[in-house]
Amino acid sequence: MAVSARLVATRRLSNLVFVAFCGVVTAIALTALALILYSLVTQGIGGMNLDIFTKSTPAAGTPGGLINAIVGSIMMSVVGMFIALLIGILAGTWLAEYAGESRFGAVVRFLNDVLLSAPSILIGLFVYEILVFPFKTFSGFAGGVALAMLAAPVITRTTEDVLKLQPIALRESGVALGSPVWHVIRNILWRGATSGILTGALLAFARISGETAPLLFTALNNQFFSWDMAHPMSSLPVVIFQDALTPYPDLNRLAWAGALLIAGSVLGVTIIARAFAKEPKR
Amino acid sequence: MPLSATHAIPDVSIAKIDASQVKLDVQNLDFFYGKNRALKSVSIPFEANAVTALIGPSGCGKSTLLRTLNRMYALYPGQRATGKIMLDGEDILRPGVNLSMLRAKIGMVFQKPTPFPMSIYDNVAFGVRLYETLNKTDMSERVEESLRRAALWEEVKDKLQTSGLGLSGGQQQRLCVARCIAVKPEILLLDEPTSALDPISSAKLEETVTQLKQDYTIVIVTHNLGQAARISKYTGFMYLGELVEFGQTAEMFTKPVTTRGSDYITGRFG
Repeated sequence: MAVSARLVATRRLSNLVFVAFCGVVTAIALTALALILYSLVTQGIGGMNLDIFTKSTPAAGTPGGLINAIVGSIMMSVVGMFIALLIGILAGTWLAEYAGESRFGAVVRFLNDVLLSAPSILIGLFVYEILVFPFKTFSGFAGGVALAMLAAPVITRTTEDVLKLQPIALRESGVALGSPVWHVIRNILWRGATSGILTGALLAFARISGETAPLLFTALNNQFFSWDMAHPMSSLPVVIFQDALTPYPDLNRLAWAGALLIAGSVLGVTIIARAFAKEPKR
Repeated sequence: MPLSATHAIPDVSIAKIDASQVKLDVQNLDFFYGKNRALKSVSIPFEANAVTALIGPSGCGKSTLLRTLNRMYALYPGQRATGKIMLDGEDILRPGVNLSMLRAKIGMVFQKPTPFPMSIYDNVAFGVRLYETLNKTDMSERVEESLRRAALWEEVKDKLQTSGLGLSGGQQQRLCVARCIAVKPEILLLDEPTSALDPISSAKLEETVTQLKQDYTIVIVTHNLGQAARISKYTGFMYLGELVEFGQTAEMFTKPVTTRGSDYITGRFG
């Protein structure tokens, strides 16, 4: 049979249509992102001033800033990420290297996936039950734990995925030198997977940095500056949530500034982390 | 005795090697992947300070045989070996063998180059650090010596601190050889070490192997019959999990004794 020019032409056309469709959809997504960033920057810049970094959240009509929320957010995020990295990296490593096809491994993997998409407000309620109610006080520490429970599944999942991408021959050549498996994981596989694990950590950080719901039940809020994680603590998302809902323009401006701060810090952390963990050239 | 019997072509032919020359002696080895029997009562001697090539079509068990020699299979539950593998008078299949010490004696290089994600220097030092505490000078000497023996020193001596991943495929494979001999093993297992390399890199690696054979007992699995003929003293031909023919390479490639061996070497199948 001869080559059918029509068939080829039809396929070229369908290819063109598909590529065009992908382009349009990408453009829609990017436009939405650009609009969000645009309103964030234009509105947020207006609220930015030195007071933001020196004064605590004010009552309506009085001057104030966000320093209590900034410090609270940083402290709770650090605690949350520390716990989440510890649990996530070890759990992900166990799933990738030791669990294999075992039933227990499959169950853990499944539950982690469930946790990955659990509504954050439920996590907040759970931590409220185990850390707030028994101690009779909201606390920054409870907030950190709630954030950790949101971040850990993300890190677990990505750690498992990137470790599984490491070639089997790499593991075997470590073992062939006489290195125990744990030593191979620590010194060869983790090293090879650094950039992937870091990506997971950044995703997790981005996720928790804007979470409001779990903090409402755990850290609550605090109008005043505080280093004390054993007591209620302010955070940027909660302040944004409260201030944005008030009818006062000055508090609204403060909320916008806080939103811009969160977006900026996620961007900043991403850039810094990427610079530290440059992919080795292949 | 009828004439035909004296001229009968043997189904299996395993040459004997003087026992005092044998470094590693495989006796009646069976290997199982779960229920699947991948090696069938294989007995093969490996002569000290000589290269033995294992050839045969894909799936014949040559890599499996190689992976029992350093007990690599022990990583995987469900894989087991029965029989004996005698190394210096000790059965390495016996339970309770210290696998780290065994693998310090028996090094392995894989089909695909597997540089570790670290500097060239650290790649070579990695194995040494598992067994010895050397000071900086001694370690640097060991690294240099190993890289020289692997014929890589001249190409990398000015960039020892750069990543091993930045080397070409052929260089990476020689780095793996250097990493392996840095531990000072007695036996080298090479699993199709040139199959992922271009012809020039392959030639270099073959040259390296040829130079190493004075000091090491080398077992090489290869799909390349020409390579087996060039570098090995002995050849074992395997087929469907059996060792069909084993003998001096020079004899086997000119006048193979078994029908299956002859068919494979002359290219009638494979």
